[in-house]
Amino acid sequence: MEITKKEENSVAILSLKGRLDLASGAGLKEEIKALMSKEKNQIHLNLADVDFINSSGLGVLVSIMKEIRLQKGRLTLSDLASYVQEIFEITQLSHIFEIFTSESEAITSYQSVSAG
Amino acid sequence: MSNEIERIGELLEKLQSPDFYNREEAVIELGSHQEDEAVAGLVMALEDVDLGIRELAADYLVKIKGDVASQLLIKFLGSEDIGSRNLASEILVKIGDGAVNALIDELDNDDHDVRKFVVDILGLIKYKDSAKKVAGKLHDSNINVVCSAAEALGEIGSESALPSLIEAFKSNEDVRLQVVESLGKIGGTKSLNYLIEYLQTDDPMILFAVIDAIGIVGDRNSVEHLIKFLSSDDTSIAEATMSAIVNISIQNKGALDYDLPLDKFVGFLFDGVKNKNKKLTKFTLNRLKHWYGQDVLNSLLEVLHYVDEEDLKSTVKMLGEIGAPASPTILKQFKNATSELKIIYLNILKQYVDEDIAKHLLEYKNDSDPEVRRNIAFTLGASGSQVMIDPLKVMTQDRDGHVRAAAFSALGWLCCENDIDFLFNGLNDRYPDVRDAVMGALILLGSQEVVNSFFEDLSNEDTERQRIAATALGLIGDPNVVEPLLQALNHPESSIRKSAIDSLAKIRDVENTDPLMLALNDENSGVRKSACTALIYIKGQTVIPEIRFLLDDQDLWVRYHMINMIGNSNNSAYGDYIRPFIDGTEDILKIAAIKALAKIGYKDALSDISKLQDDINQDIVKAAKNAINNLQEA
Repeated sequence: MEITKKEENSVAILSLKGRLDLASGAGLKEEIKALMSKEKNQIHLNLADVDFINSSGLGVLVSIMKEIRLQKGRLTLSDLASYVQEIFEITQLSHIFEIFTSESEAITSYQSVSAG
Repeated sequence: MSNEIERIGELLEKLQSPDFYNREEAVIELGSHQEDEAVAGLVMALEDVDLGIRELAADYLVKIKGDVASQLLIKFLGSEDIGSRNLASEILVKIGDGAVNALIDELDNDDHDVRKFVVDILGLIKYKDSAKKVAGKLHDSNINVVCSAAEALGEIGSESALPSLIEAFKSNEDVRLQVVESLGKIGGTKSLNYLIEYLQTDDPMILFAVIDAIGIVGDRNSVEHLIKFLSSDDTSIAEATMSAIVNISIQNKGALDYDLPLDKFVGFLFDGVKNKNKKLTKFTLNRLKHWYGQDVLNSLLEVLHYVDEEDLKSTVKMLGEIGAPASPTILKQFKNATSELKIIYLNILKQYVDEDIAKHLLEYKNDSDPEVRRNIAFTLGASGSQVMIDPLKVMTQDRDGHVRAAAFSALGWLCCENDIDFLFNGLNDRYPDVRDAVMGALILLGSQEVVNSFFEDLSNEDTERQRIAATALGLIGDPNVVEPLLQALNHPESSIRKSAIDSLAKIRDVENTDPLMLALNDENSGVRKSACTALIYIKGQTVIPEIRFLLDDQDLWVRYHMINMIGNSNNSAYGDYIRPFIDGTEDILKIAAIKALAKIGYKDALSDISKLQDDINQDIVKAAKNAINNLQEA
């Protein structure tokens, strides 16, 4: 799985491409760990190009989410392909993950408290 | 011309007809003439007994926008009939700039009521160049005209009126409120400087208006002059100041660098939220990130259900970010909250719930509202605490199916490897949503034991269990499920064979595709179609030559599916396979082939497709024309 990184308004954005399973998930966990060691705990994952995710991949996302929560950070997801969306619905993970239709919508939500 | 005048004369006569339709026709025709007599006729029609006629005439007068129309309409301003007067005013405002000259001519009308109406209308038209003339009315002998002039100057918004307004403020006590209000509307540095000067007034009414006007101007630098009034003993002055600062804050997108004594205004601000005051709500909610004392949290939690959906979403998020400090207050208020509020509270808590909070929530797991119980189950699961497994197991026995489903989903998040048997029992629930939730929980576990149990389920006597097993194995998606799924291709139930193939298509990482090739000859056409899709997903389009025999399948829909798959291949080399369908007898396949050939850019078929443009089936003609366009552009 390919991981492209960028940062916008203090949010680390990781775009994933390919299959998210046990092997590739380990790499993703490492990336997140590295970010959190730099105190970057506002993390967004763009899943637009994730064409496959299995139980292990879901497990990786859940454990990343728990870790970020523990550090009082925030994890958002966006652009779920229909197959990924289906598995999120079946597992009801949408109740514990913050899922947005698009990356821009997710990034805007990080600034929702800045104006006024 | 004389004929026209004659005709207008007839129309004016027709306006007197007792018949509505005659009068209506007359108005319509008068509206097409430009002559002054016709305009006069339309003005006359404004006094018609019928509202429809009056409105029709008004519409034409607005379109004409002439001086004559304006002059005639102004006459109505002196009418004793309020309806006619209001209608004339309305038309004059709509005529706008075109009516200004005629209105200015009436500023010295003998009737002070007419002068007042004229000034009001000029204010509503907002024509900048009329400011000087209107300013002249600040010295009118009638106080109502003077006050209207001061107000109108604010509406017109021209800085050129400032000297006259300031002079009026000094010389005439009765017009001060209107002057202050207008300075706020005119805005700009000059107006603001005068307003800041007026903050020294002893008159509380004027002070109130000045503070409000400074808020409307919205200059962030004016906040320093307002801050001292926040501590005024006069509550209305203090609250007006807070309101003005809110206004300035909103206009400056929150960029104010002042420490505001917000705690003093908790009641005022949250009343604003409760009363759906947009500005106060926005300001208050946006301050919460840094402002969440006990009083604030109490007030906020009470007003949450007054907030619109978008604000609620961001407030819930913010309260989630505040996290633990907010939870004791939420938990304290939970008991007596309405179901609606309980669900909002649970959505907040769900963002940071831990074992301690989850333990507090256990008290409500038998709440009378199933929607609350359902959200409790999700929140307990979100805590990640293994201690919640047993209470959630109890909730899987709830009388409400939605609650049972939520409890099973939440159990899935807690990954209880030792409870696989318990979860599998849930697959026998009578409610399909619960069975799907159980499947989701087992998919999340996804262990070898789960795979083995699902594999066994492929032979379960209950076909629903078989279906769930085939679907779940695909979604578990680990390489170790491929073999069981391939074996399921020999299952006696065609629906299971199909589900297994669909699951393999999702996994894609399948080395042995022989069973799928065999499935292309399955007795069930649905299975054959799924096998076709799966093979193309797994092996790529290079498999197409190997499976092209499906184009001769006995089932029309399999042939149709294969044509579409070739259309999706984006490879014109496969065009030869489907070209014969253009001359076939089945229209549906003919259309599919035309579309597919166009999609893959198979230009050799252009002449054959062109012949179909005269087909009797219009769908074929349409498909052919589109295909020709596409192929010619390609």
